[in-house]
Amino acid sequence: MASDFDRRRFIQAAGITGIAGLAGCTGGPEGSSDDGSSDDGSSDDGSSDDGSSDDGSDGSGSSDDGYNVGMVYALGGLGDESFNDAAQRGIIDAAEDFDVSYDESQPADAGEFSQFQRLYAESTDPDYDLVASIGFAQLDALTETAPDFPEQNFLLVDDQLDEPNVASYQFSEEEGSFLTGALAALLTQQSFSAGAGETNTDASRIGFVGGVDAPLIRKFQAGYEAGAAYVSEDVEVSTSYVGDFTDPSGGQEAALSMIGSDVDIIYHAAGGSGVGVFQAAQDEGRFAIGVDSDQSLTEDDFDDVILASMVKRVDRAVYESVENVVNGEFEGGSQVLLGLEEEGVSCVYGNAIGDDIPQEVKDEVDSVRDEIIAGNIDVPTDPDDV
Amino acid sequence: MSRSRPGAVRARIESLLRRFAGISGIDRVLIAFAALGLSVLVGFFIVLGSGRVAECSTAAWTMPITGLGFCYDPFEVFFVLFNGALGGPFYVWEPGILNPEWLPITLPWLGFMPGWSPFNNAFALTMSETTLLVFTGLSVAVAFRAGLFNIGTQGQLVVGALLTALVVVALAPLFPANRVGGVILIAIGVLAGAVGGGLWGAIPGALKAYADANEVITTIMLNFIAANVAYVLVLEVFRAEGSSVVATADVPEYAQIGPWLFPPTGDFAEAALLIGLVSLVGLYLFLEHTSLGYDLRVSGIQPLAAEYSGVNAKLTTVRAMTLSGALGGIGGSIWVLMSEGRWVESIPDLGFDGITVSILAGNNPLGVLPAAALFGVLKGGALQVGFQTDVPPELVGVLRGLIILFVAMPEFFRLIGKRLVPDEPEATRGGDGKDGDGVGGTAAVDDGGEASA
Repeated sequence: MASDFDRRRFIQAAGITGIAGLAGCTGGPEGSSDDGSSDDGSSDDGSSDDGSSDDGSDGSGSSDDGYNVGMVYALGGLGDESFNDAAQRGIIDAAEDFDVSYDESQPADAGEFSQFQRLYAESTDPDYDLVASIGFAQLDALTETAPDFPEQNFLLVDDQLDEPNVASYQFSEEEGSFLTGALAALLTQQSFSAGAGETNTDASRIGFVGGVDAPLIRKFQAGYEAGAAYVSEDVEVSTSYVGDFTDPSGGQEAALSMIGSDVDIIYHAAGGSGVGVFQAAQDEGRFAIGVDSDQSLTEDDFDDVILASMVKRVDRAVYESVENVVNGEFEGGSQVLLGLEEEGVSCVYGNAIGDDIPQEVKDEVDSVRDEIIAGNIDVPTDPDDV
Repeated sequence: MSRSRPGAVRARIESLLRRFAGISGIDRVLIAFAALGLSVLVGFFIVLGSGRVAECSTAAWTMPITGLGFCYDPFEVFFVLFNGALGGPFYVWEPGILNPEWLPITLPWLGFMPGWSPFNNAFALTMSETTLLVFTGLSVAVAFRAGLFNIGTQGQLVVGALLTALVVVALAPLFPANRVGGVILIAIGVLAGAVGGGLWGAIPGALKAYADANEVITTIMLNFIAANVAYVLVLEVFRAEGSSVVATADVPEYAQIGPWLFPPTGDFAEAALLIGLVSLVGLYLFLEHTSLGYDLRVSGIQPLAAEYSGVNAKLTTVRAMTLSGALGGIGGSIWVLMSEGRWVESIPDLGFDGITVSILAGNNPLGVLPAAALFGVLKGGALQVGFQTDVPPELVGVLRGLIILFVAMPEFFRLIGKRLVPDEPEATRGGDGKDGDGVGGTAAVDDGGEASA
C-alpha cells in the first residue's frame, strides 16, 4: 500500500508540474485566450517574417468566399531553406495580397504525391481553386491525376505537362548556373579570400554536387560546366551526385572528397543535402554556392563561405499562378519558361562575403549575363553537350 | 522505495517478466488494446504540449476551464487518424455517430456514391499498406521462427520488385494485351519476384550456414547493395525514356493487379490481399503441420538438439532464408504490380516495418494480419491527418511511433520474459515449445541487481 501511495503522489506531482510547464510555455495561438501569455517573442526562427502565417494554412473557415489553394510540396518538405521554402514564400505573399487561404501538405514519400493531389482535387469543403504541385518528381503522379479532374486547376513547378487544366512553370536553371560557373571559374584562378574561405592557388578546380541524377539536375550541371568552360578552358569541373535531396552527410562526404582533390568552390543543386556542402566548405575553409533561395540568408550560419546563390524564383511561379486564378486568367495548358531575362533565375551574391568579390569579376559575370539574354551564348541543358 | 534491497528489486522484475511470459491468447489481445488506449492518452498530451509550443494565429482547441489555447486539437488528431484511415465513416461533431449517408455497400459501377462507402481511396491506401506489410511481416516472421534475424527483407523486396518490373515489361509483347495475357503476366511477375527475392535471401542464408557469417550483418549489408545496385541498373540501363525520376518503364495496364470493388484510382487490389492471406495461411500450415516446417522451428528453438535429432541445420538455414526472401520478393512484386505500376527509386521502408509487424505478431503468421492492419491504419490515417489538420508530419510520425511502441512493448517483454526468466520453480512446466524465439539463456538476469547495492 505504501508504495501505491508513493506512486500516486508521484503522478500527482508530475501532473501538476506538467500542466504548470505547459502553462509557462510561450508561443501557442496568439490572442486566442485570456491567459495573457501570448507575448510569444515572435518568430525567432526567421523563416518567415511574420508570425501570422507561420505554419500557415487552413484558416479556411475565415474566408469561405475567398480562393483556396492546396500546396503539395516536394520531398524534403518545409524547412529545407531552399526549394520548398521558396514555394512557401510565394503562397505566403499571395495570401497577403489576395483573398486567398491555403492548405499545405508535405508528402513523406513519392507514393503520397498522387494521394495528396487527389485529396485536394476531390475536396469540396473547401473547394480548392488551385492545386500546386511543387517539384519535378510530381510529374508522374500529376500525369495520372490531372485527367481525372478536368475541372480542377493544377500548377506544376519544374516540369511540363501537356494537359488542358495544368499550368506548367519551368526555369532556365542552366542559364543561372552558367553564371555561377563563370563566377566560380573566374575566382578559382585567382588568389581570393573572404569570410572563412580562400581559394586554392595550386589548382583551378571547381565542383558541382547534385541531389539526384535526374534530367532537371543535369541542367544545373550543364550550365555550370558550360559557364566555367566559357570563361576559361583551364578550369576543371568535378561532379558528384548524392542520390538524395535530404542527406546532408552525403552532401558533406561528396564535398569533402572534392576539396581533398584541390577543389575550392562547390556549387550544389542538392536541396537539403546541400547543407552538408556548406558544412564541408566551412570546415575546410573553401567556398560554396547556394541554390534556389539566397542561401547566405536562409542558411546564415554558413554565410561566411557562401559566395553566391543561383536563385530560382519558385515563389514567383506560385505567386503568379495564384494571381492568375484570382484574376480569372488562369490558363490551363500554358507552359511558362522563366529564364535570366524574365528574372526567373539569377545569380545573387552572398550577403556576407559577396561584397568582397572583386568588381572586375562581377563585371565579367554581368557581361556574360547580358550575352545570354542577347542570345549570343548557347547554353546547353545536357552535360554531354558541354 | 529507493532503499529497497537489490534482491527484492530483482525478484520483482523477475515476477513481472514471468507474468508477461505467462500471458497468452485472449489476454495478449486485450493487453494490445489497453496499450493502444494508453498510447493515445500519452499522445494526447504530446499533441497538447507541442500545440502549446507551436505558434499559430488561431487556437485549434481551447482547454475548458483554464482557457488555454492550443494550436493542435488532440481530439481531432486522433479522431482523424482512425476515422480517416477508413475514409471517414463516422461523424462526430455533426449529429449522429454514423455518417447519415452511410450505405453498407455502394458499388462504384452503379454510378452513384452517396455518402461513405467502404470502397474509397483513403481506405484503399490503408488496405494497400496492410497488404504489402503482410508479405514483409511474414518474411521476417518465418526467418525468426527458424532462429534467424532477417533484417534484409527490404533488400529482398527491392530485388524482387525490380525483377518483376523488368520481366513483365520485357515479356509483355509476347502475350495478348487482354485480361488473360495480363493474368499470365502477373503470375510470371510474382514468380520472378519470388525467385529474385529468394535468391537474394539465400545468399545470407548460405553465408550463415557454410561460412558462419552473422546473418544480421550480411542482411543489412545486402540491403545497401540491393538498393544501390538496383538504382544504378535502372539509372544506366533500364530507365524509361524521358522519365524525370529514376524508374523503369510502366508495366502495361492490363498486367497490373486491378481492384474489383475499390476505385481504380486507389492503390489497392483485393486480389493482392487474397494472395497475402493465402500465403499467410499457407505459411502457418507449413510451419505447424509439415515436417519441413517442424525442422525449421526446431532449429530455431534449439539448433544443437535439431542437429542431434537428424535435422540438417545448414540446409534448413538456407531454406528458411530463401523462403523468407521469396516472401519479401513477392511483397516487392505486389508493390510494383498493385501500387506503383513500375519500379521507382523511392521505395517505401516496407521491409523494415515488416520487422516490427513480425514482432507485434509474436512471430506467428496468423498474428501478422492484425499487426499489418494496425500499420495500415496508421499509414492511411497519417495521410489524412496531414491533409485535414495543421499538425506537421513529424508530429504525426511521433504519434505513430508511440502507438507502435506501446502495442509492441508488452509483446517484447513477453519474448524477453520467456527467454530470460526460468519457469516458476513450483510449476515445473517443461518448455511449452509453442513459440520458438531463440536459444534459451538464463544468465542475463543475474547481473541485474548488483548495480544499485
